Amino acid sequence: MSKLSGISILGYGAYIPMFRIKAAEISRVWGLSESELPVVEKSVNSLDEDTATIAAEAASYAVARAGIDPSKIGAVYVGSESHPYAVKPTGTIVAEVLGVNSRLLSADLEFACKAGTEAMELVTGLVASGMIEYGLAIGADTAQGKPRDALEYTAASGGVAVVIGRSGEGAIADLEYASSYVTDTPDFWRRGHERYPMHGSRFTGAPAYFHHIISAVRMVQEDGYSLEEFDYAVFHQPNSKFPFAVAKMLGIPAKKVEPGVVVNVIGNTYAASSMMGLAKVLDQAKPGEKILMASYGSGAGSDVFIFRVKEGVLAKRNRAPLVSELIERKRYIDYALYLKARGKIRE
Amino acid sequence: MLHAIFRPPVNWRHRRFRYGLVVWRCLNCGAVHQYATRICRRCRSNRVAEDRLPDRARLVTLTVVKNPPVSFEKQAPYIVGLVEFEDGTKMLTGITDCEPEELKPGMELERVVRKIAEDGESGLIVYGYKFRPVIKRR
Amino acid sequence: MRRVYAAGVGLLKVDERWEQSIDSMVTQVVDGLTEVRPWKIDSIYVANAVGEVLQSQANLGAIVAEDLGLVGVPAVRVEAGGASGAAALLAGYQAILSGLADTVLVIGVEKLSDATPEEAVFLPTLSERYDYVGFQGVTEAAIAAMMYRMYLERYELPQEMVAQFPVLMHEHASKAPHAQYQFKTTLENVLSSPIVSPPLRRLETTAPADGAAAILLCSSDALSTIQHEQVVELAGAASSTDVVFPMEREDPLKLNAAARAYYEALARPGISRDDVKVLEIHDSYSILASLILESIGYSELGASGLDVKKGIYDYGGKVVINSFGGLKARGHPLGATGVYQAVEIFLQLTGRAGACQVDGARYGAMVSLSGLGSSAYALIMKER
Repeated sequence: MSKLSGISILGYGAYIPMFRIKAAEISRVWGLSESELPVVEKSVNSLDEDTATIAAEAASYAVARAGIDPSKIGAVYVGSESHPYAVKPTGTIVAEVLGVNSRLLSADLEFACKAGTEAMELVTGLVASGMIEYGLAIGADTAQGKPRDALEYTAASGGVAVVIGRSGEGAIADLEYASSYVTDTPDFWRRGHERYPMHGSRFTGAPAYFHHIISAVRMVQEDGYSLEEFDYAVFHQPNSKFPFAVAKMLGIPAKKVEPGVVVNVIGNTYAASSMMGLAKVLDQAKPGEKILMASYGSGAGSDVFIFRVKEGVLAKRNRAPLVSELIERKRYIDYALYLKARGKIRE
Repeated sequence: MLHAIFRPPVNWRHRRFRYGLVVWRCLNCGAVHQYATRICRRCRSNRVAEDRLPDRARLVTLTVVKNPPVSFEKQAPYIVGLVEFEDGTKMLTGITDCEPEELKPGMELERVVRKIAEDGESGLIVYGYKFRPVIKRR
Repeated sequence: MRRVYAAGVGLLKVDERWEQSIDSMVTQVVDGLTEVRPWKIDSIYVANAVGEVLQSQANLGAIVAEDLGLVGVPAVRVEAGGASGAAALLAGYQAILSGLADTVLVIGVEKLSDATPEEAVFLPTLSERYDYVGFQGVTEAAIAAMMYRMYLERYELPQEMVAQFPVLMHEHASKAPHAQYQFKTTLENVLSSPIVSPPLRRLETTAPADGAAAILLCSSDALSTIQHEQVVELAGAASSTDVVFPMEREDPLKLNAAARAYYEALARPGISRDDVKVLEIHDSYSILASLILESIGYSELGASGLDVKKGIYDYGGKVVINSFGGLKARGHPLGATGVYQAVEIFLQLTGRAGACQVDGARYGAMVSLSGLGSSAYALIMKER
């Protein structure tokens, strides 16, 4: 029942803010040695960007690639752990910016780093049921990392949106399979009114990230797929080691993981993290190729998808900036400007 | 001192102009209004209709706000400028994602929606248009 | 034909008057009008731009009437941004010309020192369309800076051609006891002062100031019934408006409202601009001094700076501008500024300008702006 037919990604769009801070610059302040750094650098939103603006920009690229009339979009779901408001939806802001019709389903989702892929699951269901014609699923974050915490090196900003609709001409990728695996696992959390999340340090590894992604991928295998048939494997990428480590455990060669990995140069974009990998793969995949994707969200769960790339990707790919172009658009800032951009300078 | 735009009804009623540069254009002389109007402010024609300005425009001139007004303190210094659309309409705008030195009159800019200001940590967040250099494509 | 006279004036030193409220400034400045007592006032106009923002005080008409012990006298506040004072004077002029009033008290009062620096930046911007300009965090100074840049580029001028205006203003204010800044400055100082919005420097702008000024206007009939020492005729007054946002004007460097108001005011007594020997202009930004002088025809376009260098606007020149230092150095207490300008012309035409005295002036004039010229007021005063 996780197998799908007639559902496709019709458009996708990524957005990455232009500021970058090098992990070495953060460690200059807090004194980690170079060999301990989990990434090379990460993206940082500017003062005038937040999850809503990042989501809107990614969504506008997704709609441009889809080439559809935005007023036909029937759902806008934004997954994030950094919604600008605790109460007041990000989705309605994004919808209004895009000029989406008000006859619309919209809600904000929160499931740590898998909130964006959860949005994909929901929109897929709505399209499959016939309730909507097109839906936008967005994962966007301006992730918070407490100064000096391990997360400060990786917590990054970015967003990815996908337009999902019925398959047909112009499909970028058919969605063949979607499922999810969740348990109550307290590896990472943020209580209400707290500025920064807390985490279980090494507990975020084996019982959390690895257990859930592996369990999700096992479901795919149980449902009759062989991992050999996939040309690409995209996993949540909280640091540059985990996606390769989980691939190794699953027996997936690193070369199938490599094309979707961006964490080294933009950090962990949380709800956008695995979707950013998907966007980067779609930027380069050939029609007919198959993609396995497994996100991970603390708390905890993994959404798993299978895509088959379609002809439409060739014509649509260049209607909006590629992930690699967004990665190249960068300006380095030092730790002081980083604190200013992230609003960490408090009166 | 509270900016009017932080008041919910004000914030709400200007959203289409701020988010999407929805303007009111005179069908007689072409003049653009940033607010819903019944009378053209340039030719007094009452044939005015909603329109949407394009997503790209050219830079006319710019400056930098180094002494910010209330509620913009944390953003200073920031760039503001004047852009001109294809039809000749000029628009005042914030300019983001660049340094003043990178901007040259005549340069093409693209519209984005950004956070304009926020009413402290508890009040409303105001979003609106800004322009930025077009993202380089290969 | 009725005529309008100014029969008495008062002003306070423009300053940060920490200890005083609007009420106490008003009573102090009116107390200075000793020569025209006893009072018989038909109407009061109170010019104030931002009292309801900074002092949470609106309805200044009734409040000031009571402050002055004049309960019963019709009184209203007049607001036209930085030109509020001039707008109140025009209202008083019209009231007397209409025959409905014989004596009108015009008071300009503003207390900007209560503002935080960020509020002080924001308040002048209230004169632009908020839903277009203010909400974006664009300041009036930033728009003035864009006009400034456009001016320097169009006429291919070095910045000193504009930046020398503040030097001249400080020179004039150095002899004016009521000026906010009585020190002299140099071009080097102006051009090395902090940048507000490039190319505009801090010494090319004004700073928050408190001030109050008052004028008693009366008809020719009333003149014979009140005590007065000296009298000047308010020979003409006019106003005009322009497209609010300067960059949407046909030529952003042409202040058409100022030109229209000025020529209409000159036409009332039927004089030419060359008859005016004392001229108060609205130099809230240095660039506005250039644009006003070029728009109202004293200098060729782009040539006002050269004319300053030639001494045309200084003592001994064609017309002395801002003989007490203007908005730049006398100070710019927003809503009171227009009344200061008129009081200063009164002092010049009655020979009471002290060290700032311009000799031989029969006519004096003022140009006052709100916003960056979206509204302009001009007044012509004549020696009696």
